[in-house]
Amino acid sequence: MVRLKDRYLLVSIVYTDVPAGAHSKGPSPVPDLLLYNQPSEGALKPQLLLKAIRSEVASLFGDCGSGSVDRSLQVKYLSVATSTFILRISRSHYRLVWAALSFMDRVPIKNGRPCIFRVVRVSGTIRKVEEEAIRRAKLLILAAKDEMAGKSSNALEALFRSKDPARSLTVLGDQNDSEPDSDVAMDDG
Amino acid sequence: MDGKKPSFSGGKALEVRKRKEPPSGANGGKTQANPARASKRGKFYDARNIRSQPSDAALQDGRLDLQQFLSAREYEINALESSMRKTKAANATRVFQQVPRAMRRRTASHNVKRIPKRLRERARREQIEDNTPTVDARKRRPRTTRARIRAETAKKLDILAARKKKKQLQNSSGQADLEGKEGKATPTVHTRAPRPKIRRNTLNDPPRTKTKFSKRQINKTWLPTHLWLAKRATMTKPGQPLWRFAIPLTPTEKCYRPTHRASGQKGVVAWDMSYMSTIGLYGSTEGVERVLKALGLTQEGLWTNRGRKWRNGSRKWTGILSKQSRDSRRDIGPATIIWNPKTVGPDTLMTDASSPKKSQRQLFVRTHPSCFLELFNELLKLVKMQTPQLHVEDLRFEIGSIELTGPGSTETLLGVLQPYHDKPGSEGRHARVFGSLAGVANPSSLPKDALLAFSIRDPRLSYPPRTITIPNGSNSPALLDTLTTWPVDEDLKPFGLFSRDSRFQASRMPPQKSLNRRKGTNTPGEHLSITAVDPPIPVILLASRPATEGQVQGTWTLLAPWRCISAIWYSLIHYPLTTGGNPRLGGLDEIRQIAFEQGTPWFPGDFPGTDAGSRWELEQRKKRKQDWDRRPRGKRVEWKSLDLGAGRKGEVGDGFACDFEHLFGPSKGKIPATSETNDADAMDPSTPEDSDASPSKLATTAQIAKTSFTALLASSNLDEPPAHSIITVQLTLVTRGVANTCARIYRLPTVAPEVALPSTVADVPATEPSSSNLGSLPHDLRDQWLRKLPLRAANTNIASSRRGRQAKNGPAPPRMHPGSDLATRKLVIAQSLLTTQLPYPRPAANQSDVGGYPLCPGEEDLIGFVTSGAFSLSEGKGTAIGSISAEKALESWRGAGACEGKLCIVRNAGESVGWLARWELA
Repeated sequence: MVRLKDRYLLVSIVYTDVPAGAHSKGPSPVPDLLLYNQPSEGALKPQLLLKAIRSEVASLFGDCGSGSVDRSLQVKYLSVATSTFILRISRSHYRLVWAALSFMDRVPIKNGRPCIFRVVRVSGTIRKVEEEAIRRAKLLILAAKDEMAGKSSNALEALFRSKDPARSLTVLGDQNDSEPDSDVAMDDG
Repeated sequence: MDGKKPSFSGGKALEVRKRKEPPSGANGGKTQANPARASKRGKFYDARNIRSQPSDAALQDGRLDLQQFLSAREYEINALESSMRKTKAANATRVFQQVPRAMRRRTASHNVKRIPKRLRERARREQIEDNTPTVDARKRRPRTTRARIRAETAKKLDILAARKKKKQLQNSSGQADLEGKEGKATPTVHTRAPRPKIRRNTLNDPPRTKTKFSKRQINKTWLPTHLWLAKRATMTKPGQPLWRFAIPLTPTEKCYRPTHRASGQKGVVAWDMSYMSTIGLYGSTEGVERVLKALGLTQEGLWTNRGRKWRNGSRKWTGILSKQSRDSRRDIGPATIIWNPKTVGPDTLMTDASSPKKSQRQLFVRTHPSCFLELFNELLKLVKMQTPQLHVEDLRFEIGSIELTGPGSTETLLGVLQPYHDKPGSEGRHARVFGSLAGVANPSSLPKDALLAFSIRDPRLSYPPRTITIPNGSNSPALLDTLTTWPVDEDLKPFGLFSRDSRFQASRMPPQKSLNRRKGTNTPGEHLSITAVDPPIPVILLASRPATEGQVQGTWTLLAPWRCISAIWYSLIHYPLTTGGNPRLGGLDEIRQIAFEQGTPWFPGDFPGTDAGSRWELEQRKKRKQDWDRRPRGKRVEWKSLDLGAGRKGEVGDGFACDFEHLFGPSKGKIPATSETNDADAMDPSTPEDSDASPSKLATTAQIAKTSFTALLASSNLDEPPAHSIITVQLTLVTRGVANTCARIYRLPTVAPEVALPSTVADVPATEPSSSNLGSLPHDLRDQWLRKLPLRAANTNIASSRRGRQAKNGPAPPRMHPGSDLATRKLVIAQSLLTTQLPYPRPAANQSDVGGYPLCPGEEDLIGFVTSGAFSLSEGKGTAIGSISAEKALESWRGAGACEGKLCIVRNAGESVGWLARWELA
């Protein structure tokens, strides 16, 4: 049977413009983790996001790349409150999109803030991506609480380089993917 | 078509609505489109949409805040989880796809009544949603003329029936008035219910059937459970009954693997074997003994003290019966013989009054229907020769049987068969022994040829059968004690099944209607108790074990009166096993499958040396030919152009047949005697082949028994078996491959005497002989085959095997030393290119081997044919049952010893590659 074979990318937007510790003092101290995982602006719409990715793919891979990505790219979920989104893309071209995301450095709106688009999970089913998003949200809650209580100081550490695999947010977790070089570029922070 | 308010309640909906509607136009399309479909689309859209919050939900007055951050995350978690839940609920499967495969009715999946009750409501809703056309039988309008006529007739008949009923009601009320005047009407004459006639010494008629079904049973007889079986199994074709019965061939559901599991590991397989024929033999002890001896029961043990238990009636005997033809014995087929125990005491009814000193005995001979007539005629002949004369009865339609195999078979029988007794403790010894068998997981753990005879209650009285409680610790000492002592021999009474009266009594069971009425008055869940109208049903249980040794499942055979079989069957097939599930239904194919997996030959297919077997073989040939004819020319085997290698063209003998005619036939002389001269002169004096070269050669092949073959093996003087004799063997393929029916069996090629080469033939390049004498087999063929043995390959040292490879592929290329420079490397490569010794001219394909595999031996080494073969699930490799020429088997055994003599090569019909196999006497 012929099936459309897709990949789902779970991407989180990490904001990099506010220096760490900027809000740690003051009347309402905020953990650094919140600075990185800020909500995006409401002007960010799926259409804008798609347009930005397409133009980035076009500039990186030319007409061929944009043509192959154009049809199948789709935003399945975009939550500006948590700066998370899920993309669907055909299996054979998901790397083009990933690469484009890596090269994007601003939120694709007018006067967009500088940020990183971080692909945290690639999967063949949306279900696994959703599970991963849930896991990450839970871990973020825990990490934020921890930092607030003063247990761990370094938010970046919590984001990227945690030693404890069970409580790590860095796991890309592409078990569904057999390509050897797909678990790259995890320390792009 | 009004798309606004569909009504699905009546039959009107199905005639106007189509299932698929064309996509409607752009304007007004929304209103025209199927609302159910649109709502479904909306549902899927909803299910797949994941909710999300705007960005200010995570901010407190535009500033970052921990609490808001956390609540935004929580919202996200909830949204994703509910999305996963919703998508799962709204997946695109229909209810009937969730039904277990065995319960599915694909053709009727639109009929909600076919779906289990728990899913019915959902199915109904789904059908309304996507507008599946549903059928309501009550409201269906007859479409064809025939159906309309039928419906009209049915209506008229209804009116007639109503009128008749009304009249009857009036009459009966009138009579009641009359009786009320005259007092109670007493019957003046008591009549005996008519018993079916059983004629002596002649064949009996099949049972009277319902008139409704009689037209369908002109050329055949239905089994007692036919109506049940025909809905669940592929039966024999109406015009082509098997052995004059309508026999279930295989269940309609896929069951190859489930049958394998149920027969060996967990579960039960049950067969209605009522088509097996029973013959009653009655007469004086001496006469009966003479008849049985004439049928081939000549083993010493049977008639001495060792066979006492059998002759008393507490054991059965199973074996092959044979008859005396002009100068040799010929097998008839397998049979089971049961003796009726002698009556004790002077007040016996059974003993003949005219000759009181001669004890009269009764026997049942149970045999396969394919050899029934042969056996019956033979018995008739033998019986008439005796003085005083004995007599035989054809009890085919008097006694039916059910067979069960599998670990749960004993449990099933215990749950279904409840001994009949008037008061507790009076049920008899056999019934008590049977009741103590709970926990037996394999009928073959009973004593060999065990037999139990007792009477049971009507199983319908306790109809939904309940799972019995098995005492935990199956090897309880009491059970072990029962199995070892087997206390059934004392005070044996004559078996009820032998008595015609008790069989007849048993078959007059109360109708289901009256049982239902009794059940209505009974407490719910309580079993019915016995009343005077419930007769005891005499049964005999036989436990048999397969001929092969080891922990193979045995079989229970339940003999009961023909008319009681269906009542027992319904209870039995619905028995809930302790391991879960119900007994599985089996057909003829399942019998063959289980016999094959156990390595036992199946009668008649694997006995081509009997009349029934040869008839079966001829029929199968015809069937294979028909199948072949139906295939397109490009997709069927062209026997003439089959390339067997070394210039041999064409299949050996008939490709559709286990061609024993060819094996024993005169065509041997036509083969050019290439190098095998020793073979021919060894056979010349013994086999007068040309004398009886008739077309019906298959009928002249004779089976010889395992015992006589081993006796031949043991004898020091080189005795020859009778001409055209075959033995049944079980073949196991040593390495790879699967043998099918009609596969050819070759012995290992005999070594030509003039080639005086020892086992170092591997040194000789294989290319040499093939180029020198084209069209003959390589002289080291036997060694090539022996090298295929895994054990042999391990034993030979590595050097010789390397040399063997070298001989095949030419000398190995010169090694390149690691330290050599570029110039020497070039030189070595150039040398290796120049000095390859490819033979010139190149040998033709399939000249010395078939794709690197040794060639099949020549026709002179053909010894037999596979009668049934497949991949065996129990062995994990290909096995087969076949028949080989006893003479050639002996020859190769005597020539090569027990180990190499049992090696053979099996080649499927129409294929050129053979596989190494080992045969064992089956």
